Amino acid sequence: MTNGWTDVANADVVLVMGGNPAENHPVGFRFVMQARLQRKAKLVCVDPRFSRTAAVSDCYVPIRSGTDIAFLGGLIHYALSTGKFQREYVRQHTNASFLIREGFGFEDGHFSGWDEAKDNYHRDTWQYEVDGQGYAKIDPTLEHPRSVFQLMKKHYARYTPEKVSEICGCTVDEFRKAAEMVTIAAAEDKSGTVLYALGWTQHSHAVQLIHAAAMFQLLMGNIGMPGGGVNAQRGHANIQGSTDMGAWNMLPGYLKIPRAHWATLDDYLKANTPGKLRPDSLNYWGNTPKFMVSLLKAYYGERATRANGFGYEWLPKAGEADNHGWGFFFDRMYAGKMDGLISFGMNPVANGPNTAKMIAALSRLKWLIVAENFETETAAFWKAKPLAGQYYPAAADPAAIPTEVFLLPASCFAEKDGAFVNSSRWLQWKEAALDPPGDALRDQEIIARLFLKIRELYEKEGGKGAASLLNMSWNYATPGLPSLREVAREVNGRDLTTGKQLNGFGELKDDGSTSCGNWIYSGSWTEAGNQMARRGQEDPTGLGLYPEWSWSWPANRRILYNRASVDREGKPWDASRAPVRWDGARWVGDTIDFKSDAAPGDFSAFIMLPEGVAKFFTPDLVEGPFPEHYEPAESPVENPLHPRVSFNPLGKVFTSDRDALGTSKDYPYVGITYRLTEHFHYWTKHTAGSSQLQSNFFVEVPDELAREKKIKSGDRVRVTSARGKVEGPALVTKRIRPLTVNGKTVYQVGLPIHWGFAGRVSGPLINNLTPSVYDPNSGTPEYKGFLVNLEKA
Amino acid sequence: MPLETDRKIPRFDFGERAAHWMAAISFLYAALTGLALWSHKLYWLAFVFGGGATVRGWHPWGGVVFALALGVMFSRWARQMRLDADDRTWLRLSHRYMVHDESGLPEAGRFNAGQKMLFWMQSALALLLFASGLVLWWPEIMPRALRLLAIVVHPAAALGAIGGIIVHIYMGTAAVPEAFRGMMQGWVRPGWALSHHPRWFKEISRH
Amino acid sequence: MQTVAKLIDTTLCIGCKACELACQEWNDQEFTLGVFQGTYQTMPDLAHNFWNLIKFNERETAGGMSWLMTKYQCMHCADPGCLRACPAPGAIVQLRNGIVDFNHDHCIGCGYCITGCPFDVPRLSPATKKVYKCSLCSDRTAVGLSPACIKTCPTNCLTFGARDELLRKAESRAEQLRADGHAQAGVYNPQGVGGTNVLYVLKDATEPEAHGLPKDPTIPLSVALWKGPLKWLGTLTLVGGILGTFFHYVRFGPRTYEGQEK
Repeated sequence: MTNGWTDVANADVVLVMGGNPAENHPVGFRFVMQARLQRKAKLVCVDPRFSRTAAVSDCYVPIRSGTDIAFLGGLIHYALSTGKFQREYVRQHTNASFLIREGFGFEDGHFSGWDEAKDNYHRDTWQYEVDGQGYAKIDPTLEHPRSVFQLMKKHYARYTPEKVSEICGCTVDEFRKAAEMVTIAAAEDKSGTVLYALGWTQHSHAVQLIHAAAMFQLLMGNIGMPGGGVNAQRGHANIQGSTDMGAWNMLPGYLKIPRAHWATLDDYLKANTPGKLRPDSLNYWGNTPKFMVSLLKAYYGERATRANGFGYEWLPKAGEADNHGWGFFFDRMYAGKMDGLISFGMNPVANGPNTAKMIAALSRLKWLIVAENFETETAAFWKAKPLAGQYYPAAADPAAIPTEVFLLPASCFAEKDGAFVNSSRWLQWKEAALDPPGDALRDQEIIARLFLKIRELYEKEGGKGAASLLNMSWNYATPGLPSLREVAREVNGRDLTTGKQLNGFGELKDDGSTSCGNWIYSGSWTEAGNQMARRGQEDPTGLGLYPEWSWSWPANRRILYNRASVDREGKPWDASRAPVRWDGARWVGDTIDFKSDAAPGDFSAFIMLPEGVAKFFTPDLVEGPFPEHYEPAESPVENPLHPRVSFNPLGKVFTSDRDALGTSKDYPYVGITYRLTEHFHYWTKHTAGSSQLQSNFFVEVPDELAREKKIKSGDRVRVTSARGKVEGPALVTKRIRPLTVNGKTVYQVGLPIHWGFAGRVSGPLINNLTPSVYDPNSGTPEYKGFLVNLEKA
Repeated sequence: MPLETDRKIPRFDFGERAAHWMAAISFLYAALTGLALWSHKLYWLAFVFGGGATVRGWHPWGGVVFALALGVMFSRWARQMRLDADDRTWLRLSHRYMVHDESGLPEAGRFNAGQKMLFWMQSALALLLFASGLVLWWPEIMPRALRLLAIVVHPAAALGAIGGIIVHIYMGTAAVPEAFRGMMQGWVRPGWALSHHPRWFKEISRH
Repeated sequence: MQTVAKLIDTTLCIGCKACELACQEWNDQEFTLGVFQGTYQTMPDLAHNFWNLIKFNERETAGGMSWLMTKYQCMHCADPGCLRACPAPGAIVQLRNGIVDFNHDHCIGCGYCITGCPFDVPRLSPATKKVYKCSLCSDRTAVGLSPACIKTCPTNCLTFGARDELLRKAESRAEQLRADGHAQAGVYNPQGVGGTNVLYVLKDATEPEAHGLPKDPTIPLSVALWKGPLKWLGTLTLVGGILGTFFHYVRFGPRTYEGQEK
């Protein structure tokens, strides 16, 4: 979240789209309710289903799964064409005034630079026009035809309310009503927030979708404002922490992973340290060398010296075009190119798309280590056939699976101390309530003992990449069981000259005199102690920011980009709701997202970006500088905007023999997947209380479709996709309305995820149906909006 | 014909007496435990019979036994309990019977019209009690409408039946001496029979 | 002692069922499995081990879809039908703070309270043969804690406190809703049972049935009959019967015959 849960209470309008907080974030949803009670905020819910959130909303708009960019594009068009946007904010704090090179354009589904042969873009026309010093040229009047503002206006001119209706399936009136409601935030003294979750991130154009939301929020002047922002509701207690720590394909603190063509530290830093694009840009990522060197010092300690590039060369490196995203490594696993997998707190058989492929891929491993509280579907994947033979007819017999599976009993959250990083970016320290039961070990003990054993083997036997392990610093009091306090202090970083804990990332150096395990967490455990364990409830701004409660990255800042809540001169857009203020000599309020001792006019507002301002237009995303509506890989219609380029030209579709895409001829309905409030992902089916609340799998079938097919609630139905099938009782409902898309009636079928073949309650794994299609930027699978057929079983 | 005053005239055979006393005991049990549950002021009765939960558990079984016993009595007596023209006259003049003035009263058979009326009344009330009792026995599976009906019907029928039984006991003990022996030992004296059930006495004397 | 109450603002309920689980956990109820009946509802109905049920009602209205989620439990009536119907003294008690509580040591399991309740709330346990329902966590409230459901409610849909204060709060919330265009908004506090200590704010108070709440709940006529006129009539029968026969004997004596044994 750019803002945070408590801050949602400051909103005047809440747009919930691609998420269902009443269902999946009920505790956070209290702040939506607070906004309604205290600010008379309006709640707008855009969702394929009339969800629990819709049930308490002021305005509900049904939408076809996978058409969110069309809807948001429509909102952008509506704002621009009616003048309902915050012009001064846009002029001062965004790149609307920047000029783009000659030759940029969009035609028939492709941006300029499309190379049919390479199936990719040349992005040279997507760049700013620069002056002699390399600074981008701007037109503050926003009138220049090649200004980002004019290009944006032109790009979204196609997204009329009628077009939105034609693509999304809602009525023109429904769209207008929602648009009117959300654009009240264009006023300087009004804020609107956007809450989203996996309903946005699980599409083949997901990152662009969130880009579109950011654009809309910039137009409304909502970024940096209390009650504003673009707010991702994270689905697990610590998923924010795992992204921050680089558990996927980043190094901690969102540093890029080293690649083979950046052989030395200098190469790496040169390629990944941006230069500023405007004279008044602070360009904070210019400090990348400090972050990276301090990280290497944390990894390799005294062995990291300037002479050896602080150990950069020991780091494993990916090939230039390698992708280690989920879909890619499972595809490699399925191709037999991997020996083993350590699955820690992950259940790929249940959460990966195309279950049959997941199971088949695991069957081709030599070994699989699963560290879990329960025997999950992944740990028990070899039992898939006897337990769920009806769904995985091709699953191998256990005897034919060579994979050796180790199930390591791990402790659950209540049995460990450490910090949870929530959606609000708060690092909240917790203490262990219980000891792990039986043979279960704390995660850090499992990791440490594996590490020590593997290091010992490397010491004895040598091997490829041994240096990375043998040089690693491992200075814990009990090497086999590092305390999380030690690790947290290490992550915060220390001054290696004085041995003192750092106060924040401002103290990091690139000369090897500081170490820091994650620069954005620097300041969480200072000489003053564990800041994450703080529980102060003071609220000096009166905005519910609670700066003394736990610790928020970065720098205990509660609202990211809060510098943008004031204008260039430091005057708040809304004096009644200013998180920060320039009192003439210094900044007061929330930790300013700015150089703390600089006057307002010294730099522009968005210090993390080379431009110094927020970007409507960005060349960073692979499929274009502006978000464009593309249909999901499996869609019931051709893209009404450009039928010839219906699908995201860069969307990743895997094509192994277990991957198949269906067409609307065989699979006429849109499948949508979601979680229910009663469940926590695939885990709580192992606990009695939660299993009781929603014990049975069901398929939500639109009333009209049910009548057509003579299906009554409770009747057993079979849902098939090109990948597999699931069966269960129908829940016939009017909450999923048939939509008219491009003149055609489209039904959506609701498929709640949760069940599987492990646990107290069982049912089909919904990902048996979902395709191996991925967003090209994030690598997230397209779980939403695929094609299915539905019959009475 | 001189009366052989020492003769024992069989009044009720063993089957009849057994059924009657089974009915009587179970009725008494059901009535007393029922009264315990009917009014807080009589709840002390529940303790006499083992406590509230025990009473709740066994009261319905008392009802079942009563119903079975009554069933036997019904099958034995229903034919004899039919009201004829004499009975109707008897009933019209029953106020005279109550004050021991029997002028104009037709002669009673084995059962007089009052007894017959009691029989039919108790049978009808027992049917109501049994049906409503079943509903109250398993409130968790019975429809609410039936329960609401039963909750009034059961105590109303019970009170009617208890009222009838009070009169019956009085008649069978204090008010009509020697009647009790007829039901207990099964025989009566000829004088009693001639006085109370002359038509019946004459009928059995003919054989 | 002040009367306490629970306020349920249905406009803030998201049907998350946290209250269902909190209730079961605090009251040590065994978990079972939910029963699928074509809605999101956990169980078709309340149960002896499930005192708190969110009812899900889905319907189309002129204004579009509505999906009403309504917490259902004991209403803690000012004039409790269960208490009126209960034959076992002390099994159902009305505490001075208004809570209607069951004392299972005294409960005899007759189930009359089930019939007496205008809201159809109490449930008989087949195992213990006792009747159970929400106690408004009388064990928690007695020591100044809020009931488990209220403690766990994430959206503040549920609040607990002094009844007068909550009633005012409910009225002002209804007022706010009316100002917001929900002309029929109001408070559900049925007078047929003397008012309840569980209050609801409804968007449309003219149609509580849409939420699964009875429109004009009263103590059932038959319970009133049974505990009223029938009681007097019964006493009359018993006392009249006994006295009547006694004085008949005193006045007329036994009916004797000639030659009767002495």
